[in-house]
Amino acid sequence: MASATALLVRDELIGFAKSKVMLVLWVVLPLIAIVGYFLLPATLTGGGLGDGLGGGLSATAFMGFLESSLSGTVAALMVAVDIVSEKNRKVYELFVIRPIRREAIIWAKFIAVFSCVTVACVVAMALGIAVDVIRGQPMTGPMIYDAVKSVVALTGVIALSAAVGVFFGVVARSILVAVILILYVGQNLAIVPMLPMYLGILPGHFWVLMAVSGALVGVLLWISGLLFRRAEL
Amino acid sequence: MVASLVQLRGVTKRFYGQPVLSDVSFDIAPGEVFGYIGPNGAGKTTTLKILAGLITKFEGEVTIGGANVVTERDKTHALLGFLPQSAGFQNWRTVESALDTLGALSGVPSATRAKRIPELLERFGLSEARTKKVKQLSGGMTQKLGLIQALLHDPKVLVLDEPLEGLDPPSRKLLKDIIRERQRAGTTVLFSSHILSDVEDVADRVGILNAGKIATSGSIRELMTAFGLPIEIEVDLAVVPETLPFDGLGTVTPHKPDQWRLEVPTSGDADAIIHTLIERTLAAGGRIRKIGVAEPDLDDLFAQYITRSAARG
Ligand SMILES: Nc1ncnc2c1ncn2[C@@H]1O[C@H](COP(=O)(O)OP(=O)(O)OP(=O)(O)O)[C@@H](O)[C@H]1O
Ligand SMILES: [Mg+2]
Repeated sequence: MASATALLVRDELIGFAKSKVMLVLWVVLPLIAIVGYFLLPATLTGGGLGDGLGGGLSATAFMGFLESSLSGTVAALMVAVDIVSEKNRKVYELFVIRPIRREAIIWAKFIAVFSCVTVACVVAMALGIAVDVIRGQPMTGPMIYDAVKSVVALTGVIALSAAVGVFFGVVARSILVAVILILYVGQNLAIVPMLPMYLGILPGHFWVLMAVSGALVGVLLWISGLLFRRAEL
Repeated sequence: MVASLVQLRGVTKRFYGQPVLSDVSFDIAPGEVFGYIGPNGAGKTTTLKILAGLITKFEGEVTIGGANVVTERDKTHALLGFLPQSAGFQNWRTVESALDTLGALSGVPSATRAKRIPELLERFGLSEARTKKVKQLSGGMTQKLGLIQALLHDPKVLVLDEPLEGLDPPSRKLLKDIIRERQRAGTTVLFSSHILSDVEDVADRVGILNAGKIATSGSIRELMTAFGLPIEIEVDLAVVPETLPFDGLGTVTPHKPDQWRLEVPTSGDADAIIHTLIERTLAAGGRIRKIGVAEPDLDDLFAQYITRSAARG
């Protein structure tokens, strides 16, 4: 039933968008971006980060890195903690006794968290770039391409983090276990989309790695759905 | 014999190797109200969760409306309204939003929801709490919310796990009224309780579960026989005749002033004996204030029964 999924997505979006953690993100992410652009030079040179990018990491790319690793972690924790605590409070009993696809419940969570956090990040980045332009930094073609790539990478990081969060949320029985799994296992996975842009590894394979990330997200969500379907709730 | 709507056959469930249900079988006919009684830890919730499709790993076969609760979950869920023992709701939801979404997921059209949700809230005295967050509700109010979500889509089969728990006396009465109403409308109801007297005025049939086994099932009358309980006739006299009317009818014990209890022999017919008692009393110049079959204290009986079967092992 597609309408059930749509309904759950709508509800979860409302739930997450108004949650306390999201409210903080709505404020903190733009703040970091704006402050960041004020403080950073247009290009960061030297250091490990810029290696392999031939010249350095742009301020936009760096901000994307900062924002996505920050919000990716938050997204993963938020969705996992939400799923575990709702499982423990027996919230799902009332959902799964109804004639709906069980997977829809957790997929709706993924879509909601992914959208909320991504929107917050993109808005923050846009604000940062706008501040930069107002300061007199000209927008060149390569810069725009760089910004687009940053946003795509950021989206990938958040999607992968949220998918990891869903997976561990479904698997773990306690919030503590979910948090530990995300911090020590999940975070290593969410680095994949960061490799070319931010870490300078496989720089020529940006789009390939994005595709790999997308596939990973799909696989994680599919497995989570399968496990959630079989689980005794 | 009407085909049963709910059917359990040889259900055995183990948790970590420990049997929690052992070979539980019972049937519920369409339109029947079935009371599922047992002490703490008897396995009531486990049984009801199996029916609701929440527990899927067990031995035996369970069907609702002929559909298997494990392999044909969509069919059984379309028939089912379920109240878990402790219903949880998402923290951020208001009473209205929780009910509206659950109703929609049960396939209730939005126009119907817009009518039924306020009606049910009103009936349970929750109209005021409509816009409150679920987490701000009291225990009893949350229980009522759980009941409303089970009733919302007018299910064919209602499975309620301790529905009376946490309700105040007027709400208990209301729920019993609703169960009777639903029954008249053709709904089949299965509900659990610890308390036998809770179910006697609504349940057509009772199943008693003890330590994972169905100890007995049947109508309350049949259960009393199973309990080995003699039927007693209570006689209250306004004017006591010179000769008491009990001669040869059974064992008599004075109960209260001017009140006697006559134990009907197992071969006896209570109705015929009452008739004889009335005739004899009036003929002897006595006057009757009240006469009838005495109400047994079901809860006492039940407690005795459980203790006895526990002793037997
Ligand atoms: N998830 C579980 N894991 C292990 N044991 C369980 C689990 N759920 C129930 N049990 C055990 O199964 C037995 C029956 O539990 P159940 O909840 O079905 O009893 P109940 O009749 O509903 O009791 P109550 O009246 O207290 O609600 C208990 O001994 C309980 O400890
Ligand atoms: Mg129980």
